[in-house]
Parts: sequence; structure tokens; C-alpha cells
Amino acid sequence: MAKPVVKKEYTLLERIYLWEILKGMKLTWGHFWFNFKACWRPGPHTIPTCWQYPEDRTREISPIFRGEHMLQKDDKGREKCIACGMCAKICPAKCITIKKAKRKEGEEDKYAAKTYSSSFEIDLLRCIFCGFCQEVCPKEAIILTQEFEMARYTKEECILDKPKLLANYQKAKDEGKLRPPRKRVPVVPAPPKPEGEEEPEGAEGKKAKVAAAGKAKAKKKPIAKKKAAEKPEGAEKVEATEKPEGAEKEE
Amino acid sequence: MDDWLIAIIKVVGIWVWVLLIAVVMTWVERRGAGLIQDRPGPNRAGPWGLFQPLADGIKLFTKEEIIPTKARKILYILGPLLFSLPAFSAYAVVPFGDKIILGGKEIILQVSDVNIGFLFILAIGSMAVYGVILGGWGSTNKYSILGGLRSTAQMVSYEVPLGLALLAIVFVYGTFSLRDISLAQQGTFLGFLPNWGIFKQPLGFILFIVAAYAEANRVPFDLPEAESEIVSGYHTEYGSMRLGLYLFGEYVNLVTISGVIVALYFGSWHMPYIDLGAYLGPISWGIVSFCIFFLKVSFFLWMFVWVRWTLPRFRYDQVMGLGWKGLIPLALFNIFITALFIQLTV
Repeated sequence: MAKPVVKKEYTLLERIYLWEILKGMKLTWGHFWFNFKACWRPGPHTIPTCWQYPEDRTREISPIFRGEHMLQKDDKGREKCIACGMCAKICPAKCITIKKAKRKEGEEDKYAAKTYSSSFEIDLLRCIFCGFCQEVCPKEAIILTQEFEMARYTKEECILDKPKLLANYQKAKDEGKLRPPRKRVPVVPAPPKPEGEEEPEGAEGKKAKVAAAGKAKAKKKPIAKKKAAEKPEGAEKVEATEKPEGAEKEE
Repeated sequence: MDDWLIAIIKVVGIWVWVLLIAVVMTWVERRGAGLIQDRPGPNRAGPWGLFQPLADGIKLFTKEEIIPTKARKILYILGPLLFSLPAFSAYAVVPFGDKIILGGKEIILQVSDVNIGFLFILAIGSMAVYGVILGGWGSTNKYSILGGLRSTAQMVSYEVPLGLALLAIVFVYGTFSLRDISLAQQGTFLGFLPNWGIFKQPLGFILFIVAAYAEANRVPFDLPEAESEIVSGYHTEYGSMRLGLYLFGEYVNLVTISGVIVALYFGSWHMPYIDLGAYLGPISWGIVSFCIFFLKVSFFLWMFVWVRWTLPRFRYDQVMGLGWKGLIPLALFNIFITALFIQLTV
């Protein structure tokens, strides 16, 4: 329903404008005087709503800000990336190019998994910073940092290769800007089969199929019931089973 | 020979001075806008960003000059000239101080004390509308033409209340000369009020300042260049120094208008209650009167900025309605009251 328009009856004082104009000028004078005084204070950040950017970098960046990419290493200093190619696949701008290689004997301290990326290139000129790559990455290898100063002089510099990505990781680590590993979002388990049939336990491989089919089948009621009844258990189960599932898929 | 030299020095000096104020005004306007809107404004070039106008000037000078292929070339080139030349010459009759005595010669601090006084300013001010119209028409652009049209109607409408408000001033002081009017504002009347125009013509002052804002195309009457409606009105197609002349002429107009307001309504170079001229020597009084005059002028210049960032723009029909249905009857009423008062008292 549209909001009814109420026409206000203006008083004579309001209709001759002048008094109202003076009131408005008082308001703007208040702003002017406040900021004028603020200008004389020392330091770059004196006007509260305005950060003088290159000098003043105290402005808080959102913890979920999506800036320049980095390739993470695990706590033993090994590269997490397994070159599964999911980031390259999902990238809407098609800016990621990966070459896969098998880990050789004696390289266990360099790479975390059996496969690794021998080359990993991100074209920053194409990237749209949607963050899909870090969302889809099963190993949390690729992460968007809070780095936002990405201007460079040549196009070649804008293509991030592996050393640069790892350097970004080192930089973020040195500055203590690494985020804690993300929590898995609990997935609502598939709706129960009609009575009589037991829900197959631990059938991870089928789960995707079931979920897909379940979407069509599922009515709202059973899901809601299930949620209410089994949520804590279900969540734990999913968390426990998710990780190996991811690993299996890649190999 | 001496008279010639003095005249030339006065002309060049006041011309440079007015241009200087106009240049600083562009900076004041931007800094003021920033501070009113909770941001610092241009503060990078030089101390407090004071060299910003210089940077702007260099930018405008070095830009490529483009004449649109479809533009009417002569009119297009004439537009900014016809706008800025009257603006530069209008200050000639506005005083900028009392007088200074150098080497036994009395020099009036005014380029020329003509006896038609502000009629000259009105005449020259009306010339500026040609620049706007020709610029708008010569650009062959729909927005420019709309801007020029609006400007025509607005300036023609608001010249009437402006002239009528000034007529009441003539009734009070009995002269057109700005210097004579300024001199007449010394002392007090009714025992306590300074002998200023604003206390003798309060309604006239309000009418004059509203009409002056409209004449100067300033907010809330900036319809000729309403950037949210018609890109930037009559100077949409202009670039480089031609645009610079338009913008610059506008600020020079502001200085002139502020000077006229001060000279007519705010006691020119007089301080209220104190006659400093009686205490100071002839040279120092000349300098002090100059300073007092321009302090007052700078207040009104600031008020242009202040009002600009306070008020929104009028709608077009509101501007016309205010002009014809509000200001002109009021101005006629003001003249009537003034005439009646003078007839009864004198």
C-alpha cells in the first residue's frame, strides 16, 4: 500500500523562507565550525569522517575484505594447494591458470599433498575479486588478503605468479593478518526416507546424489522436523565427514 | 600627467586586486564546501591547499581548445568574452576606500566617481546576460540552449526587483553616486542606529540581496547551470580557458556584487559609532578604510559560499513565481513606503 501523501500546511513564517533559511545556515555553520576547528588539530586524521589516505592508514578494513590473493602454507610450512583446479573452474573471470604436478620423493616438506601446482597464475587485470576461489577451495589454499593497493606499472607485473602469491602469504603472516581457518557451515542432512527404510549411514559418495534428488522430493516439513530433532548430531557428523570427502574427490 | 599616472595605477591595481580575490574565492568556495560537508576539501597544493587555484589555472590554460564542429563559431567565441568583460569592468564605479592624500594630492579610492553610479553597474550587469545567451545559443546543444533560455528569463525578471530596490536607496540618499552614498552613511540616526543603508532600508536590503543572488546565477537560483538537470547549462560545450573565463567572470561578479552591497547597505568603509578618519592620518586612514571595506566584502563573499551549500535549488516555476509575484510587489511596496516616509518627514 502506498504511503498516503500528507501535505503539510506551512505557516506564514515558513512561507516567507527567510527564517527557515537562517535556521539552515545555522546548521551548516555548525558543521563548518566543527570541521574548521578540527583542521587545526595536529595529525592527519582530524575530521572524523575523513581519512587522509596515503598518510593516514588507520582506517579499519573489514575482516572479510577481498583484496589481493595469496597461497597459504600449512603450519609445517608446506604449500596447501593440491592443484585440483576448482578455483580455475569456478572463476567467473577465468583469471586463474594452474599447472598440476606430482609430488616426488623427498619433497614432502615442500608440498602438503601428493599433487601440487607447478605454476599458479592469477591475472589481476581480469580478476573481479568475487571470492569464489577461496570459497570453493577444499584446502583453504587460496585466500584473498586485505591488501588493496594493487596498482602496478606494467601489465606483466599484474599477473601474480606463484612466488608473488607465496610472498603475499609471508607478508600477511608477518603482519599477523592471517585469518583463523574458517568453520565449516553445517549442511542440513538429506531428508529421511519414508518409514521402513533405514537411512544409509556413511554413504558419502551417494550423498550428493541424494541431496540433488532430495531437493526435488523434499517437502518443507520433514526438513524442519529433522533440523529441530537432530541438528547438533547432524552438524557434527557433517563436519567429521566433510574433510575426507573433499580429499577423496580430488584424487 | 600625474592624474593619468594615478588613474592608470588605480585601474590596474584594483583590477589585479579584484582578480586576486576572485582567484582566492575559488579556493575558499571549495574549502568551505568541504568543511560544511564534513570533509577537508582541496588541501594538497601548497599550505592549506592555497595553490589550488594556480593548479586549476595551469590546467585550464594548457588544455586543448575545442570548438564543436556544429557550433556557431563567432557566437561561440564571443560568449565567454561578452560574459567576462562586463564582469571585469563593472567594478570601476565601486569604491574601495575613502581617500588617501599623497604629496598634497587628494586621491579618491575609487576608479571613477561617475554621477550615474550604480546605474552603470546595472547597465553593465545586464550586458553579461548576452554572454550567457550567446554561449548557450552558439553551442548548438540542447542543454546549452535551455541554460541560456533560463538565464535570459531569470536575469530579466530579477533585474526589475534589483532596480526597484536600488530606486528606494536613491530616494533615501538623493544621489546615484556610490561614493556620495558611502559618505552619507557616516554617523548615527535615531540616536543609536548606525547611519547604514540596511537600517534605513531593511526590506530593500532583503530584496536586493535575493535579486543579486539571482543575477549572479548563484544557488538557490543557479538554474542556468543546474548541473543535476541540464549538465552544466550554458557552458556545457566549453572547455579550457573559455570555460575558465565563464567561471572566473562569475567570481568577479560576486566581488562586484558584494562591493555594491557593502557600499549601499553596510556603511562602506565606516565603522559603526566610531569615526576612525578623525583619529588617523590621511595615509593610514586610506589604508584602514580599504581594509575595513574589504573585510565587509569578504563577509558577503563568504555568505555566497555559505548560502550555496545550505540551500537546494529552486524549481523553475518557483523562481519565476518568487520573482514576479513576491519580489516585484514587495519592491513596489517598499518604494511606496519609502516615498511616503520621505514626503512626510522632509
